[in-house]
Amino acid sequence: MDSVDIVLCGLGGQGILFMTRVIAQAALDKGLNIMGAETHGMAQRGGSVVSHLRLGQAQGSLVRTGSAHFLLGLDENEAYRNLPFLAKGASMYVNADPKNFPRQEVRDFLAKRNVTYHAIPAGNIAMALSAPQSSNLALLGYFSAFSEGPVSKGEFVATIERLSPERYREKNLEIFEAGLSRGLEEKGA
Amino acid sequence: MREEILLGNGAIALGLVEAGCQVVTSYPGTPSSEILPEVVRLVKSEKLDTYVEWSTNEKVAFDNAFAASITGKRAACCMKQVGLNVAADSLMSSAYLGAVGGLLIISADDPGPHSSQTEQDTRFMARLAKVPVLDPSNPQEAREMVGLGLEISEEFRVPVVLRPAIRVCHARQNIAFGKIEKNQSKSVFQKDPMRWAATPRFRLILHGELNKKLDQIGEKFEGLSRYNFHNLQPGTSYPLGIVTGGVPYAVIVDILSEEGRSSDIPVLKIGTPFPFPQKLADEFVSACEKVLVVEETDTLIEYLLRDRHKVLGRLSGHVPKEGELVPGVVHEILNKVLRDLGMEALQEDDTEAAELLKTLNLPVRKPTLCPGCPHRAAFFAIRKTRPKAIFTSDIGCYTLGVNLGAVDTCLDMGAAITMASGFYHAFEQDGVEKPIVATIGDSTFFHSGTAGLLNAVYNGARFILVILDNLTTAMTGMQPTPSLGIRADGSEGKAISLERAVAGCGVDFIEVVDPYNIKEMTQAIKKATQYVSEPQGGVAVIISRHPCLIAYRDEAIPEKKIVTVSDDCEDCNFCIDRFECPALYHDQELGRININRQICSNCGVCVQICPKGAIVEVDES
Ligand code: SF4
Ligand code: SF4
Repeated sequence: MDSVDIVLCGLGGQGILFMTRVIAQAALDKGLNIMGAETHGMAQRGGSVVSHLRLGQAQGSLVRTGSAHFLLGLDENEAYRNLPFLAKGASMYVNADPKNFPRQEVRDFLAKRNVTYHAIPAGNIAMALSAPQSSNLALLGYFSAFSEGPVSKGEFVATIERLSPERYREKNLEIFEAGLSRGLEEKGA
Repeated sequence: MREEILLGNGAIALGLVEAGCQVVTSYPGTPSSEILPEVVRLVKSEKLDTYVEWSTNEKVAFDNAFAASITGKRAACCMKQVGLNVAADSLMSSAYLGAVGGLLIISADDPGPHSSQTEQDTRFMARLAKVPVLDPSNPQEAREMVGLGLEISEEFRVPVVLRPAIRVCHARQNIAFGKIEKNQSKSVFQKDPMRWAATPRFRLILHGELNKKLDQIGEKFEGLSRYNFHNLQPGTSYPLGIVTGGVPYAVIVDILSEEGRSSDIPVLKIGTPFPFPQKLADEFVSACEKVLVVEETDTLIEYLLRDRHKVLGRLSGHVPKEGELVPGVVHEILNKVLRDLGMEALQEDDTEAAELLKTLNLPVRKPTLCPGCPHRAAFFAIRKTRPKAIFTSDIGCYTLGVNLGAVDTCLDMGAAITMASGFYHAFEQDGVEKPIVATIGDSTFFHSGTAGLLNAVYNGARFILVILDNLTTAMTGMQPTPSLGIRADGSEGKAISLERAVAGCGVDFIEVVDPYNIKEMTQAIKKATQYVSEPQGGVAVIISRHPCLIAYRDEAIPEKKIVTVSDDCEDCNFCIDRFECPALYHDQELGRININRQICSNCGVCVQICPKGAIVEVDES
């Protein structure tokens, strides 16, 4: 069965669910089937939040260890915690300081598996645009710059426009763009 | 065609309105809580007149739906698996009495458990009650099974259970909408006391009737090839076959197909585990030398397979007896079985990542109360004033008071009160006056607190009961409580005064305090302590009232306080050990405590708790 498997992770309150919704809706609009799994309830209170997303043909909602194509982490430690999900040749995008990411101890592991990694200080970017809660959109914009996965930048923008509540729409797009241009710079460099 | 990405619970809600279900009741509980709100959303967008209610508990929800059913309407009640325990009395009895309009009991399981006190298997409850149970593998199937369940219930006049597990409830899937129409059926109640008020003599007859119904339903399930099917090739025999259902079915199918093993390992999917499609299972088992049963969460199918020599599963030690069957675990199970049978194994899962993680020392993130949570303030005051007490508590966000050393027990809904009286009498018998402080949330109190409180007062127990009234059912997603006077659809209801309910249970000491004011809270506890030991004393109730920060984002903290930690901080760690607000952290560079502005809610409570007075409010201007 063919599916693009994505693991999104971070901490409660960082907007993992919204980020998941944007990707899922954009993929659905392209005609892909969607399966995903979320965290609710006790597990959500201040703890780690993980969301699994499978685009294409999948029966189960959980991604199996060793098979995620992408890992989007809004928190560096949570990204490490979810390393076991990465497939060989996967890519990870993490909200972290690019100078110190990833930790020395995991570099070998990533290299051996051909995992490419990208880090962006998404929290700082969102903070600078006075929306500290919106690191999710910065990370998503950054991810979209590398044109990986089934959804294009333009499709992301359209979906964010549609799903954002009126009063956050402009801000959300602004932060997405900031992440995007950061990614494009890096790609160009 | 309208298509939406729905939560499994949304798909179930869609199934309910598509099937013309006219009455839907529920008590919230993870992972079932979103079903009713999703029904409300659809009722509003499709302009239906479905009756919805948040009932005060699951038994209440059940009985309300049951009554609607026997007036000929389609009705459903929704709850989590342990909620069905609360409604078990109704379930067992209604199985005998039967249904008229379709009656669907939706009971969501939580293998893991992620947010429950047990991993119990609803399918066993259905088996115990002798009612049919449907076990969906994904949201789309859950939505279809809602309609199927209501039809079977109506055709055979028996309540039907739908058991979606958490990976169905909290899965998201794209779902195309069907036709939704208002169901115009009107209520008619045909009196029949020999049935609806049956005495034991008639119960025997009804039991016989139920058994006949089950035989007929079993026959029907044999041919229900949309949900019960296998992929045996005619005339082929196999060394191993897999019998599965529910969520594990989806996991197995994915793994076999990814590994290219779909054709050499056949799968029997059971969507209706009870009454069990025995003939279909026999057919499958006879084509296989061994069959592995992979089911959540207990061993229902495994027990029901007749050829004991062939069955592998939990009883043979191949499947873990506890925990969720996530894909990695299922993969391991399959490999163990394949190896034991001398068959070609699947690709080995590499464990290097897991080993690596152990060396990284990642911070353990245990669940904790939100920054600014009023429960934290209440627990702090309780622990400070009655450090030696036994702290009985209950089910809700506030169970996390365990982190503050102010929760010693958590049994089930309402047990804060019943265990407090139990402790009191056990110690009192020995002549020991043991201080006891019980904590219970407002919603939990309305759910099952009153009977226990009445009992405690009546039987002369003495303890302090703190009702943590945050004006919502927080843990499960902010459903209204009876004291708010807001109903499930947002319309106005009669607000039930918590104070009056408590007084009605015979309590003479009632104080209402805002726990944000630690001093007042402490004083109230002291006063209550005194009352409890007075000759005329008894149970003292403190209503600790402050809105939940998540439910009342804008109102919960009317005066925001910017707080900072001064150099007076001696880094004693008291605030972290005893108060554990997640916004307080040890700052390595400063060598003292600091505040994480990104998550601080500006409640200002920590200013009152620092023994050194080092946490201070700053003047914004
Ligand atoms: S959700 Fe409300 S009640 Fe629960 S921990 Fe947060 S503030 Fe407290
Ligand atoms: S003011 Fe103090 S207690 Fe309140 S959230 Fe901030 S750090 Fe926590």
